[in-house]
Amino acid sequence: MPLIDSRMIPRRKAIQIGGMGMLGLTLPRLLQAAESTDIKRGRAKSVIFLYQFGGPSHLDTFDPKPLAAAGVRSHYGVISTSAPGIEICDQLPKTALVMNEVSLIRTVHHTMKNHNPAAYYALTGHAPPLDDIRLRDSQELFPAYGSVVDKLAPATNGMPTFVAFPHVLRDGEITPGQHASFLGKGHDPLLVTSDPNDRRFALPELSLPSGVDAGRLQDRREIQKLVNRQVQQLEQSVGARGLEAYYEKTLGMLTSSKVRDAFNLEAEPQAVRDRYGRTTYGQSCLLARRLVESGVKFVNVYFANNIGGRRNEGGWDTHGFDNTRMYPILSEYQLPLTDQTLPTLINDLKERGLFEETLIVWMGEFGRTPRLNDNISRDHWPQCYTVMLAGGGVKRGFVYGTSDKQGAYPDKDPVQLDDLIATIFDLIGIDPQTELRDKLNRPIPVSAGRVVSGVMA
Amino acid sequence: MHAFSSPIRTWRFLLWIGGLAMAAPLPAAEVSFRNDVMAVLSKSGCNLGTCHGNARGKGGFQLSLRGQDPAADFAVLTHELFGRRTNPNHPEQSLLLRKPSMEIAHEGGKRLDIDSPEYQVLREWIAAGMPNDRPDARTLKHLRVTPEEAFLAASPAAKLPAAKLPAAKLPAEKLPSGKLPPAKLADPAATTSNPGWQQQITARAEFSDGSVRDVSALAVYELSQPIAEVSHDGFVSGQAVGETTIIVRYLNQQAAVRLAFVPDRPDFIWKGPTPANFIDELVFTKLKTLKINPSPVCDDATFIRRVMLDLLGLPPTAAEGEQFVADSFPNKRSVLIDSLLERPEFAEWWAMKWADLLRIEEKTLDRKGVENFHAWLRDAFANHKPLDQLVREIVAGQGSTYEVPPANFYRALRTPFERSEAVGQLFLGVRLQCSKCHNHPFDRWTQDDYYSWGNVFGRIDYKILENRRRDSNDKHEFDGEQIVFLNELGVAKDPRTNQPRSPQFLGHATILQPRRDPLNGLAEWLTAAQHERFVQVLANRTWQQVMGRGIVDPIDDFRATNPPSNPELLQAISQYLVAQDRVAQDRVEAEHAAIDQPAATATPDPKTNPKTNPGGKPFDLRRLLRVILNSQTYQLSADFHESNQDDEANFSRSLVQRRSAEQLLDAISQVLEIPLEFAGYPAGRRAAQLPGVTTTRGRDGSKGNGDADQFLKLFGKPPRLQSCDCERSDETTLGQTFQLVSGSLINRFLTKKENRLGTLLASNKTDREILSELYWTTLTRPPTADEYTATLRFLGQAVDRRAALEDITWGLLNSNEFLLRR
Repeated sequence: MPLIDSRMIPRRKAIQIGGMGMLGLTLPRLLQAAESTDIKRGRAKSVIFLYQFGGPSHLDTFDPKPLAAAGVRSHYGVISTSAPGIEICDQLPKTALVMNEVSLIRTVHHTMKNHNPAAYYALTGHAPPLDDIRLRDSQELFPAYGSVVDKLAPATNGMPTFVAFPHVLRDGEITPGQHASFLGKGHDPLLVTSDPNDRRFALPELSLPSGVDAGRLQDRREIQKLVNRQVQQLEQSVGARGLEAYYEKTLGMLTSSKVRDAFNLEAEPQAVRDRYGRTTYGQSCLLARRLVESGVKFVNVYFANNIGGRRNEGGWDTHGFDNTRMYPILSEYQLPLTDQTLPTLINDLKERGLFEETLIVWMGEFGRTPRLNDNISRDHWPQCYTVMLAGGGVKRGFVYGTSDKQGAYPDKDPVQLDDLIATIFDLIGIDPQTELRDKLNRPIPVSAGRVVSGVMA
Repeated sequence: MHAFSSPIRTWRFLLWIGGLAMAAPLPAAEVSFRNDVMAVLSKSGCNLGTCHGNARGKGGFQLSLRGQDPAADFAVLTHELFGRRTNPNHPEQSLLLRKPSMEIAHEGGKRLDIDSPEYQVLREWIAAGMPNDRPDARTLKHLRVTPEEAFLAASPAAKLPAAKLPAAKLPAEKLPSGKLPPAKLADPAATTSNPGWQQQITARAEFSDGSVRDVSALAVYELSQPIAEVSHDGFVSGQAVGETTIIVRYLNQQAAVRLAFVPDRPDFIWKGPTPANFIDELVFTKLKTLKINPSPVCDDATFIRRVMLDLLGLPPTAAEGEQFVADSFPNKRSVLIDSLLERPEFAEWWAMKWADLLRIEEKTLDRKGVENFHAWLRDAFANHKPLDQLVREIVAGQGSTYEVPPANFYRALRTPFERSEAVGQLFLGVRLQCSKCHNHPFDRWTQDDYYSWGNVFGRIDYKILENRRRDSNDKHEFDGEQIVFLNELGVAKDPRTNQPRSPQFLGHATILQPRRDPLNGLAEWLTAAQHERFVQVLANRTWQQVMGRGIVDPIDDFRATNPPSNPELLQAISQYLVAQDRVAQDRVEAEHAAIDQPAATATPDPKTNPKTNPGGKPFDLRRLLRVILNSQTYQLSADFHESNQDDEANFSRSLVQRRSAEQLLDAISQVLEIPLEFAGYPAGRRAAQLPGVTTTRGRDGSKGNGDADQFLKLFGKPPRLQSCDCERSDETTLGQTFQLVSGSLINRFLTKKENRLGTLLASNKTDREILSELYWTTLTRPPTADEYTATLRFLGQAVDRRAALEDITWGLLNSNEFLLRR
């Protein structure tokens, strides 16, 4: 009997149950092939989406206006960069050295002034119905980019398509746009909320319950198969669609090393870990690199779980509320953290030959007011802000679009947020016009924007 | 550029006159813009949502979606781009011709052949100077298609039945020029389709002047299932066994053709069970036509499991299962159905289904509102409240949301259009959302209909007596009593005009009297027994809840272009639902039983047959459920065979579905005898009994473990923010298998010392008895011989018997039999 025989199988062999080779062949994938999708060969294979929750000040990072009047211009100076003619804020000296590798779009704009609606817009590329400060998440809203990729062009190498970490974004309520919404739970990201900077960082999903080793798991699987053999037709029913394939995949991920290895930050040399910085965000950026290296197609890295702004923690929302001030917080927290991680990630990807095929997106939900407020800080400003694109398919050392003298409005080549998102999809080989269907079966394009071909290499 | 627009227009006008004078050997009016040019734009796919019908157009050229706005399209085609788009002096130079014929690059590919009739229509229209129709030009009144339905039996390939060829078709009405090539007829030899599966569709347009025109070559054909090919002129070639609906569209009208491609089964012999009631007669009649044999009737164990899951959300206990299987009473299934319908879990299970649709969730209704509204629903089902009365009370609900529970329906729907969409979707089976921004592309609803219907709900308003919300920024959060009332001044404005439209019930011509209470009027109109659509929606929803699929499916998408899979069946169960009295019900049964003579011998005698419900009022949910559940159709096995394996829509076998979140969690709890914990509720509350969505915000501050909540969410319990069944997910995901394989909840339940496994091991039971009880508890059957052999050996040889029993239980809980309803 198989059950008894399994006891004789050496553990090493037992670990091979649910071979990874099967994983690409889930039924949903076969089914989706029949749907109308338009998958071109993208210039980028993977995306690392570095989401800067809270809204970074463009004037104090990538679009300084040193000639603007006091009260508008940054308290920081500017430095020249490795890209001739591009100047950025002098608090980002290491970042300045990689500006020859990136494109800045300095004219991104939209009209959402509150965090959740603007963040939802930034995370999905679709404007919310209302600029509602507590926009409610529902399946009427759009899916995250990675979920769209999982629907239209899923990873076929046994790795998850879409991984998001190390937080769930929340501003009063959970920020919409972080999951698959109407595409169905099957396209949700693998969400990791444990801290990659934690010594014991591991995926709970990839750990067996205590007392259950691979051998017991094998026994259990054998019993399950024995029971399933009794009513064999059930497996072929529509209702059972994908169930067996998901068991294969789950057991494969629990027992094989590929996925676990990708998440094993201990495998990185100490020097590399130190270079990224021993912070949650720094180690998250390192994890992102490991994941794209192993074939994950879309990685969302969230800078913080909340908008922050009052202390040296959280996001970029530096209003100066409660008698706080923006500049000390930026100087001590967000900018050094950015200057340690962003260039490190770009250089690391380059050293490993991954930069050409990885698209890095660095953006928040909006910029900040050109005029400093009474707290010598800045408020929300979606009318014009800067987004950085780098890597796969993007021009290097390039600025697209010019903001006006105050950094207040686009002056030349304005880029709607939808257009930026259409560009990202185009770069990864998904025609932004590809239609998705919502829960009411309404056809809706992946993005209604127009591709900004000007930033493409 | 804008500054010059006026002179340019003048210049364009002169050009236009010039074009008119130079071209056109024919009177210009003879190519009709609305009836010919618009048809060509649709036929060629130019105005689809993916192309120039997109809300942002395409390539700087925007048409109205599917040609719904000819006036706007006329302006775009004649007054833009300095005449490059349409050039009457050199019609062939017009972009409107050069791009779709790919003489110059066109992102949308080749849409027109230069020698096609469509090209000629456009060319002639341009050459004639792009005339608009005269105001008195004929307009389309009706589009009629033949056949509306056809069952096409495959014929042995050798014989080519002449009757199936595109026979003497009416010649397409000649266009004025007389130059049009004859409409291309599909060459049947060119298709790989079985000759029996070929069908010419004829579309006839009836115009305001009484003229009739064959528009088969001008209409657009779209298929619901891609199992056939339709030629340019409407000649259908089936490619695979199955059914499909072909939507035929010409100008602003649509009609549906339902086609079935029946396989060639010369040896087909009907082997269905003897019909038990009118439902079987109607289902089997269609199956015979399709040459499909139903599966046999399922065994008792499968039956009790299925019917308990469907009616109560719970599987039978080991004792219930064993007892039922052992029972030798011939009518035991009917008796079981009757007893289940009166169990309290039935009311709870049905309350949960309705709570999903009525958006019973804590944030907007608050905890008290959620509990009141849910309890009201549960009591309504427990007390046999007729469904029409239930709906009347819901849609007319006003007053304090604490005192009048159904007033919470409108508390949850804060804007007029949320209300009108919800009532439309839930009780009229229409998805109106499309017609908010443009006329519905697949249904009759226009934007005017949308805003007239929306204003029925314009006067609903709230007195917020108290709001103790925690987050003052969150306008969706309410905690405290509210009064739902009718505000004399309330209106729902049509954003196109910024004026309210006169309120009108959907699809109903009468304008509401401003003085009348719109909600009571709505309730009366909506729930009348003569309101065919309302009755059908309720009957179809009830059917779908136990059969797994609607006769119209999805159940909230009734429209001409999504017809029922079995219209007579829908009609019959609808009649049955509203039949006034016993006699009338019997008549419904008798009428339908008479349809199929060979089976008539088996027509049950209503006086002696316990399967029919004595007494009973119209709109009695249990009465309708009883007749469905007692049918052989409901009781068919899920096992399939060659003739019915591809059938999804005709109820030839029981449909297998993943069990819902609540069914799974409550069953796991029942199997392991571990009560569930939800914050703020006493231990032992079943998932199906929860009134709302979240249990983590209990006012008493208590916190449950939280993993039960997470389990429900993971397996698709809806957040109740949409008035749609579609919000509940029954899909299978990787996250779910992770939860079942190694999740915290399942592991905690398996390993808890005092669970059922602990009890079993501590008892004096033999291993055989232990395994038998475990199997009956999880799967409602004893182990098979194979299973006994393997599991007895496994348990007997185990060093750690507890661990071995956990492993066996894990295998059972992760089996298809446990996870799926069949």
